[in-house]
Amino acid sequence: MSALIEARDLTKRYGAHVALDRANFSVEPGRIVGLIGPNGAGKTTALRAILGLTAYEGELKVLDREPFRERTELMRDASFIADVAVLPAWLRVDHAIDFVAGVHPRFRRDRAVALLAKTQITGERRIRELSKGMKTQVHLALTMAIDAKLLVLDEPTLGLDILARRAFYDALVNDYMDETRTILITTHQVEEVENLLTDVLFINKGRIVLDSSLDDIATRYAAVAVAGESLEAARAERPFHERPMLGKVVLYYEQPNFEKLAALGEVHTLSVADLFVAKLSGGAA
Amino acid sequence: MNTAIWLVRREFWENRAIWMIPAAIAVVMVLIALFGRIDLMSISSQVPSRAFGGGFLLAVGATFFAVLSIYSTWYLLECLYADRKDRSVLFWKSLPISDTTTVMSKLATALLVIPLVYFAAADLTALTMAFIISVRASSSVGGALWHVDLWLQLQVLWIYMIVTTALWYLPVAGYLLVVSAWAKRAVMLWSILPPVALLLAERWFLGSHVIASQIGARLLGYPAVAFKDDPGGRSWETTVIDEDIVRTPTSIWHFFNLDGFLSTYETWIGAAVGIGLIVCAIQLRTRRTEI
Repeated sequence: MSALIEARDLTKRYGAHVALDRANFSVEPGRIVGLIGPNGAGKTTALRAILGLTAYEGELKVLDREPFRERTELMRDASFIADVAVLPAWLRVDHAIDFVAGVHPRFRRDRAVALLAKTQITGERRIRELSKGMKTQVHLALTMAIDAKLLVLDEPTLGLDILARRAFYDALVNDYMDETRTILITTHQVEEVENLLTDVLFINKGRIVLDSSLDDIATRYAAVAVAGESLEAARAERPFHERPMLGKVVLYYEQPNFEKLAALGEVHTLSVADLFVAKLSGGAA
Repeated sequence: MNTAIWLVRREFWENRAIWMIPAAIAVVMVLIALFGRIDLMSISSQVPSRAFGGGFLLAVGATFFAVLSIYSTWYLLECLYADRKDRSVLFWKSLPISDTTTVMSKLATALLVIPLVYFAAADLTALTMAFIISVRASSSVGGALWHVDLWLQLQVLWIYMIVTTALWYLPVAGYLLVVSAWAKRAVMLWSILPPVALLLAERWFLGSHVIASQIGARLLGYPAVAFKDDPGGRSWETTVIDEDIVRTPTSIWHFFNLDGFLSTYETWIGAAVGIGLIVCAIQLRTRRTEI
């Protein structure tokens, strides 16, 4: 099966500023992909391009469509939450359900109603009367009730407390996700999504700096903490990043010789957050 | 088609003023009919009953129409801008509705749906007022309000005005939609400044006033092209009231100038400019997501 999202030399300029700089990546169906990068890295621009909200240069296919030219058709098979609190303040919750049910062929009303029944939110309330967390819950209920092949979430849990965040991710994985769906998600809270992602895309300064499955991260990357006397030997194995920690130095390696590292100190695998920091902080000090 | 109905319904949810303003006018006018001193009202036997009845219906209709013109203008200016200001455009665009459909739904709401709401409100108000006045005032006044043919004429007048104003104001509506889809703030200012700047620039640098007269014709020239000033002798009834000769129209039919309206090039150039501006507004809606 071909890729669900395929970007080749995807570029977006705002005047002199280059938000996306010939980015290349692809997303396969059935995956949960985290798009991770620092502020201003181009995450939002990439999502906007994928969702047909902005024009771009380069090649981009989402579900075999060109997003900007075919947004309407694309939105029958893709759904998104591009930002928190974008539901109009004047809209009533039951009207929101009626409206989406009226215009979206893949919207499952019973599902939205069931999701909202788990919350404190009643139909006759207007969005403006709801707390930030409740607004997010309404939007998530509307979006998760759409039988979409691709779901795109940009910081979906911003403003939610820890309980609501956990509940959301549980619902996402247990109730929503199945092999026919693909989720692309951005978040600052890398630790929180780490155990549900199947793939990560690291983006920095408009370029994709890492495109990997989580399984590959475990086999491809390693870190070792060494004390002073082994440091020269450890550096000889060409780490791509190192940082001091509690009197030792942690060195990060890509495709290392695991036997040699084991001789130097305790080898451990990298979490996504570790890898992210290591990759984006640049070369060995 | 289904989507279009939902989009119009959405406009009613968002802009409750669409029905609240005409409802408020209706309430005020009915209150006047109920408690105003019309019980003292009487008409001189010299005044033709039809002239009195026609005047009443036109006065009620004109009140609604005047407010309608102001509200529609404001609505067009605000409709696309509001979605960007509160960022709900990101929600609307997550649904399979094209920008063309969205913009056309706003245009149709402003030029057809809202006028029909005012039309219905004006009719209901006139009917209620006529009923109340008939009960309260003298029989000569009450009787003057129930000429069936005048009521029918008023219905046709409303439909005629809705259709012809929609065509005549299309370039104005298109321009307002462009501003609404484009401006980062102060839509009111942006709707006024560029035309004023253009006509001032023309006056200072070229000494001419082509733009000024074009804008003037578009904003104020409507009745002149859609109606005849004086359709000729047969259309008037002459009466003498206290030695003054008063002419009242016998019917409205002779005053329509549909042929003239549809055959003047101004109507169609305006429509073409309007369509061009609406295409621009759709393009801006596609490209400008947020403020």
